[in-house]
Amino acid sequence: MRSIAIALTVARKDLLSEWRSRELVPALAQFVVLALVIANFGFQIDSRSAPAIAPGVLWLALVFAGLVAFGRAFAAEKEQASLEQVILTSAPAAAIFAGKALAAAALLVLCEAVLLPALSLFFGTPLSIALAAAVFLATIGMAALGCLFAAMVAQLRAREVMLPLLTLPLWIPFIVAGGQAVQVMMGGGGSYGQALWLLIDFDILFVVLTSLAARFVLDE
Amino acid sequence: MNRYLVAAAAAVALMIVAAAFIFLFAPTDALQGPVQRIFYLHVSSAIAAFVSFAVVVVGSVAYLWRESIVGDRVARSGALVGVVFTTVTLVMGMMWAKPIWGTFWTWDARLTSTLVLWIIYAGYLLVRRLAAPGRQAARFAAVVGIFGFVDVPVVYFSVTWWRTVHPGPVIATDALPPEMLFTFLFTMACTLVLAAVMIAIRYRIEALTDALPVGMAVRTPPPASLREPTSPQVGRIS
Repeated sequence: MRSIAIALTVARKDLLSEWRSRELVPALAQFVVLALVIANFGFQIDSRSAPAIAPGVLWLALVFAGLVAFGRAFAAEKEQASLEQVILTSAPAAAIFAGKALAAAALLVLCEAVLLPALSLFFGTPLSIALAAAVFLATIGMAALGCLFAAMVAQLRAREVMLPLLTLPLWIPFIVAGGQAVQVMMGGGGSYGQALWLLIDFDILFVVLTSLAARFVLDE
Repeated sequence: MNRYLVAAAAAVALMIVAAAFIFLFAPTDALQGPVQRIFYLHVSSAIAAFVSFAVVVVGSVAYLWRESIVGDRVARSGALVGVVFTTVTLVMGMMWAKPIWGTFWTWDARLTSTLVLWIIYAGYLLVRRLAAPGRQAARFAAVVGIFGFVDVPVVYFSVTWWRTVHPGPVIATDALPPEMLFTFLFTMACTLVLAAVMIAIRYRIEALTDALPVGMAVRTPPPASLREPTSPQVGRIS
């Protein structure tokens, strides 16, 4: 119970500080729209090719927005030297980590709330609850892994380079399963239900693994 | 001659014997021709890479559990050797794929997951380099090493989980003629010995590096132009 309270407090603190500064979410929202614009030039998009290209563009934009969001979650603490104080409290590391991951995931969900309608508007792809559900499930596991490695690289040299290097290979399962679900919703073949169950399995696996590992990363 | 030199010489000799078996004893494949001989080393080094990464996991768990410095050194050694054998696997596979598939690379599940495995453990080696040496580097690398191992079963089962163009398992399904099977098992045993010797030598290097006083543990010597002149050269007229 105490751990849950701590996690919620940490998440609330992060969201409150984002609400007061309003730095990250507007920038990320602008970034994902910009990513769609760049994709338009890179891929020669017309009404025939759009449904085939849209899922790839969606995941690319989401992955890079995620890297920025999760990187900031710990980089800001490190810059203000507040990470040490948080770690020095008697709160369990897993609870602090869960709070940070929860807040970063919430910020990424806000960014998805811009990305999905924008994709639907510019690429003419269908927008549905099922599509949002698949993206949301992928966000959970991506946030767990992304925050674990963000906490790690915040304490390394060359952190901007290392976060994608460590995180992207382990995000691949979410992109494979999430990508399949999104392709089905955008008119491709395959099984939506199977992809969704796979996403839930990966979520459980990586949420458990990252909470076990948090203690070793948040301990200096 | 010290025992590491003896072990290294023995491992190299075994690999030469394995090469003799591959080229002189094993029959030529009826369909693929001599290119099929790549199979022996390709699969053996893939298995050696898996074993090396398993060594990383065992060492990493030992470190996180008991702060065992021995475990950490074992993990470090295993990661480097594993990356070397994954590289060999990928390169040999590409050399085989060009004449058989007509292309060096295809985005097949097994090829892709093996490449991802290489990237993950190359990342492990980078974390070691970029983290503050000592406890932090050991802890962070251990976490990466354990998480990265999730990809090993994916690589192994990729040919059964997805529809791939990569050949499926031939050993477990008993699809090889006895001469080929013997050559393969012999090559695999020799490759595993080579991997074990490489890990042991690397362990020795890591132990010696750890024994250096802090600040002297430079992994690569600086280029000659940056090196401090040593005493006999001081004042020498050139």
